[in-house]
Amino acid sequence: MKAIAKTALPDLFAALKGRVYVPVREGKGYGFALWQGQDWPADYQNTIVPPKQILFPQTEDLYTFRVEGEDITIDPAAPPEEPSFIFGLRPCDYRAIELLDLVFRQGPYLDASYSKRRDNTFLMVLGCKEGLPTCFCTSFGLEPAFAPGADWNMWDLGEILVVEPGTDKGKELLEGLGLFREATEEEKSQVEKLREEAKATITLHAPTEGITELLQENFDHPLWDEVARKCLECGACTYLCPTCHCYDMQSSSVLGQGRRFRCWDSCMYCNYTLMAGGHNPRPSKRERVRNRFLHKLQYYPENQGEFGCVGCGRCLQHCPVHMDISRFMAQAKEVMAK
Amino acid sequence: MTNELIPQIAKVVAVRKETPDVKTFTIRGEKGLPFTYMPGQCAMVSLPSVGEAMFSITSSPTQADMEFSIKRVGLLTEALHKLAPGQAVGVRGPYGNGFPVEMLKGKDLLFIGGGIGLAPLRSLINYCLDNRADYGQVDIIYGARSPQDLVFTDELFERWPKIEGVQVRTTVDVGDETWNGPVGVVTKLLEELNPDPQGRIAITCGPPIMIKFVLLTLAKLGYSDDQIITTLEKRMKCGIGKCGRCNIGGKYICVDGPVFTLAQLRELPDEL
Repeated sequence: MKAIAKTALPDLFAALKGRVYVPVREGKGYGFALWQGQDWPADYQNTIVPPKQILFPQTEDLYTFRVEGEDITIDPAAPPEEPSFIFGLRPCDYRAIELLDLVFRQGPYLDASYSKRRDNTFLMVLGCKEGLPTCFCTSFGLEPAFAPGADWNMWDLGEILVVEPGTDKGKELLEGLGLFREATEEEKSQVEKLREEAKATITLHAPTEGITELLQENFDHPLWDEVARKCLECGACTYLCPTCHCYDMQSSSVLGQGRRFRCWDSCMYCNYTLMAGGHNPRPSKRERVRNRFLHKLQYYPENQGEFGCVGCGRCLQHCPVHMDISRFMAQAKEVMAK
Repeated sequence: MTNELIPQIAKVVAVRKETPDVKTFTIRGEKGLPFTYMPGQCAMVSLPSVGEAMFSITSSPTQADMEFSIKRVGLLTEALHKLAPGQAVGVRGPYGNGFPVEMLKGKDLLFIGGGIGLAPLRSLINYCLDNRADYGQVDIIYGARSPQDLVFTDELFERWPKIEGVQVRTTVDVGDETWNGPVGVVTKLLEELNPDPQGRIAITCGPPIMIKFVLLTLAKLGYSDDQIITTLEKRMKCGIGKCGRCNIGGKYICVDGPVFTLAQLRELPDEL
């Protein structure tokens, strides 16, 4: 374990060779943005938009094209070569990136641009001292102040930031920077204490045990109608979800010249599955809400062997009508037949 | 790492009008065939300013060229229908599992197609007929709304019936003065033909309502769920199991399908 004074963070950010993303105040909340000399925020708990946007941008060019007479030329876009550092992401969002890895970097096809960005990105996790009322990460086996496997785990001890590398590249990076001193025994025990105390601050719990099997048996349960009724289909839950990976591909062009890009999409939208002939396999919000919840709680476990939810609480916190996956899980346990 | 979402450029080398709203496009890449594929696999075809969509490859890999039979139903297909030979298009693939050609070896085959649903079946039919020794009796039952809506008429009426061990029966919902064949739904022909389920696999593709009644009739004729194969379509964007939308339950139709046995479909939630 190493330590650095928080007043030295600008020196650290300046020493990191690449794009450094830090949490910055954005309206009423926080978001990750490039560090441009600003101060480290004193009070952020988590960002509104998850840091997945750095690895999987909200819109991303795939190629530019030119149509001239009978001919088409295509010029592929390339993700940046420069390394990125996401400094201060929370353990839930780190875990979410591991889950995105299972989608984008596994299976018969790899996602080329995600993989490229991921290889070039250092994930420096900051442990949570205190959860929000909407946090339920512990329900999915996460620890609020520690992310196993992250390049760095960091803890805020007031004046001091303590850092523990968790990967070879994280270790190499830390040793190459001369800005750190060894952490004292006192600091190490403060970290232990912080980790323990953080766990107790997570007070929302969602029942995960047996939920996948229960949902497999209850695809047509009337609870789905009840749960879906108040949804406005605004899609905020899916845009703010750190594990949602669905995307659309679209073109924009003027007089045969343009670009093809991909952008985040949402399974909550009515035309998401609408086919050219007019058939829609998920015609109402009952099917769409069901798809979102089942993707997290049934399909992800079936395909990836892990829950697709990390309990970050963003979809609860920001839903205009208080849709709540944790509450749904409790309801399902109560009313769905075994 | 190459980006799977970026197409290669191919040229339309021939356009054949099948029906008032179906055309078959032959496309060729810079080095001939854009990529190798198996019957039942699909590809993303694109016009960069308009869009991109998944189509079944209707040619057989035993043929020299790649063909797509495309029905005009939306924005992209409308634009594709305006293409003339020489025009470039984007193409990427192949995607999907394709038909189980090894499992079908030694079996009698019963194809039941409706409308444009014959397009994916045609790939397998020609593959089996070009590897004639590997497959048994081939029965093809095909139906369309009217005589002018029949696709692949050269093969239906000329090429296929002349091959030994092949029987083709074609019907239309509504006849006209040119038509002296059967009138009615495919299930009527299917019941008349009553092919013995022993050693036979039924492969069907067509409009959902046709599939529904074909499945009921096949069950009545004694076919088990693992003797029935179909191929599905869904809205798709990536084709590689990442973008989300084509799932039925936990299965992505683009990579886990589009070909499923009825037994496999029964394991999935009812969200066709």
